[in-house]
Amino acid sequence: MENRSLRTIGLVGCLVWLFFSFFPLYWVFVTAFKPPLAVSQGATYIPFVDFQPTLQAFRDAFSGIRGDFFGPIVASISISVVATALSVFLGAMAAYSLVRFEFRIRLASGLTFGVISIGGFVLLNGAFDIDVPYALLIVLVLALVVSIWMNKYRLPGPVLGNNDVTFWFVSQRMFPPIVSAFALFLLYAEVGRAGFPLLDSFLGMVLAYTAFGLPFAVWLMRDFFSTVPVEVEEAAQVDNIGRMRIFIQIVLPMSLPGLLATSMIVLAFIWNEFLFALLLTSGDWQTLPILLAGQQSSRGDEWWAISVAALIAIIPMVVIAAILGRMMRSGLLSGSIK
Amino acid sequence: MHGDAVRHDRVKYAFIWPAFIIVLVITIFPLIYALTVSFQSVRLVPPLPPRFVGFDNYVDILSSQRFWGSTWTTATIVFASVAFQYALGFLLALALHHNVRGSSLYRVVFLLPMFIAPVCVALIARMVFHPYLGPVNDAMVGLGFGNLPFLTEPALAIMVLISIETWQWTPFVTLLMLAGLQSMPSEVFEAARVDDIGPWRRFWDLTFPMLLPLSVAVIFIRLIEGFKVIDTVFVLTGGGPGTATETLTLFAYNEGFKKFNLGMTSALSFVFLIVVIVFGTIYLAAARRLMKRYA
Repeated sequence: MENRSLRTIGLVGCLVWLFFSFFPLYWVFVTAFKPPLAVSQGATYIPFVDFQPTLQAFRDAFSGIRGDFFGPIVASISISVVATALSVFLGAMAAYSLVRFEFRIRLASGLTFGVISIGGFVLLNGAFDIDVPYALLIVLVLALVVSIWMNKYRLPGPVLGNNDVTFWFVSQRMFPPIVSAFALFLLYAEVGRAGFPLLDSFLGMVLAYTAFGLPFAVWLMRDFFSTVPVEVEEAAQVDNIGRMRIFIQIVLPMSLPGLLATSMIVLAFIWNEFLFALLLTSGDWQTLPILLAGQQSSRGDEWWAISVAALIAIIPMVVIAAILGRMMRSGLLSGSIK
Repeated sequence: MHGDAVRHDRVKYAFIWPAFIIVLVITIFPLIYALTVSFQSVRLVPPLPPRFVGFDNYVDILSSQRFWGSTWTTATIVFASVAFQYALGFLLALALHHNVRGSSLYRVVFLLPMFIAPVCVALIARMVFHPYLGPVNDAMVGLGFGNLPFLTEPALAIMVLISIETWQWTPFVTLLMLAGLQSMPSEVFEAARVDDIGPWRRFWDLTFPMLLPLSVAVIFIRLIEGFKVIDTVFVLTGGGPGTATETLTLFAYNEGFKKFNLGMTSALSFVFLIVVIVFGTIYLAAARRLMKRYA
């Protein structure tokens, strides 16, 4: 009896939430088909009853009389696809090594790395007046070599294992992104001054987004790989097949669902990303979110045009949500998400 | 055999180095540069040579009204919206777990909001909350509240931002809590049902304590992510009226790209980092206490 009433409450709650989460989407969808008068004379709700739907806004958008739409679309697609592929592939490699091998990194050598890189940079840039990109490069190589060399010895202090390495990757996401986005903007500007433009360039954006997607990729792929049985790999190892070939020809195909799910999630994050694009692009490689953010100041209340732009950004994500929703139902994500 | 093991051991570096180097070059090294900039006075407009100023930038920030204002705004939005997200998300997950009618349909639709760009969500919110032409206005007029200035009155604008964040991120909580519910051992619940323990007690004595670690993690992720919010505010109110809805990230952005005060922005982003670490530590300490009480 009690269960019954709880069920009814649950159903009503779900229906209310369904309305609440669906209504804004319905609204942007119908608004894209509204003629101007159906917007400017007060809210209209139902097509064919309240207003006569028109495709005019879509025609306007794609004929280009309302500014360049195709540029940002092409930029968004190419940047997000390439960066997703890179970060999922490199992230999968890193995750694989974190599952199958053991890492031992001494805290002392990690700290040395920090001290050398910060101190060395201040010294080179401040005292010797070396340009920022070169100073950073020198310091990077130097600090890496020294800390790898130090790691061989039995230094005092704790030893960090695989979980700590994973945490190091994931912790990149805990920084407020303005910290790294703004720092990256400064660095890109300096690199550009040294003759290699990265601001508002394809390469610069792909690099930034690859680093942005890597923490997710490492984190998610690690869980997927840990469910892949190790026996097949051992058999291949006996046949003396190289690790890299094992990884690409055996491990990756076996974890295809995981790769797909991870790519979807990373793609969604990159596709929707705003802050990096805002700071690092200015024209040629502006992505869709930047175009959208500009819409409301340049368009005012031309909601039909804005809705078309928003729909273009939303539709690929609807496809992704549907695919992930199906995967979730088959239980694929429930195991991996923790 | 020994040589073989070493060779295989070496290959692990080939696997991890590319990812490691990219994160190092793109995330960590700019930070080092920004850290040094934060102790300098660097202005692009008017262009002045960088000058070492010690902790001046940090002192300026901590004594500025605007910084504390934006911290307060961010904290209000984040804590209120995460509370709603958690409560609603957990309830929805419970309903879905017990297979309410049509739950397979809900699963897809419920997921959708979190995949939509926050910029889009904010644009849609601008339409929906338009003070004269939006449907919410129609509803409010219908209920007798009259035309409310949703986006230009500070308290209302913050409420709108909280509801947007709740709308977008409740699905995230639902998704994870549902995964947690599905991985709980069913025997315990069978036993509880046999002992005729009511659903209310079952929830508070079994489900909630068992999912407490997951809840702590989910809330933690949402708090951290919430503190980053800029895009929604950028589009919805631009931080206005005045600076009433300015969040920390937006403040840092405005400082850097409207005033071109690079040293200040760098310092601000590090202060921001410290704010997040402080809130995170307090939260984790409180969570550990709570978990101990249940354990």
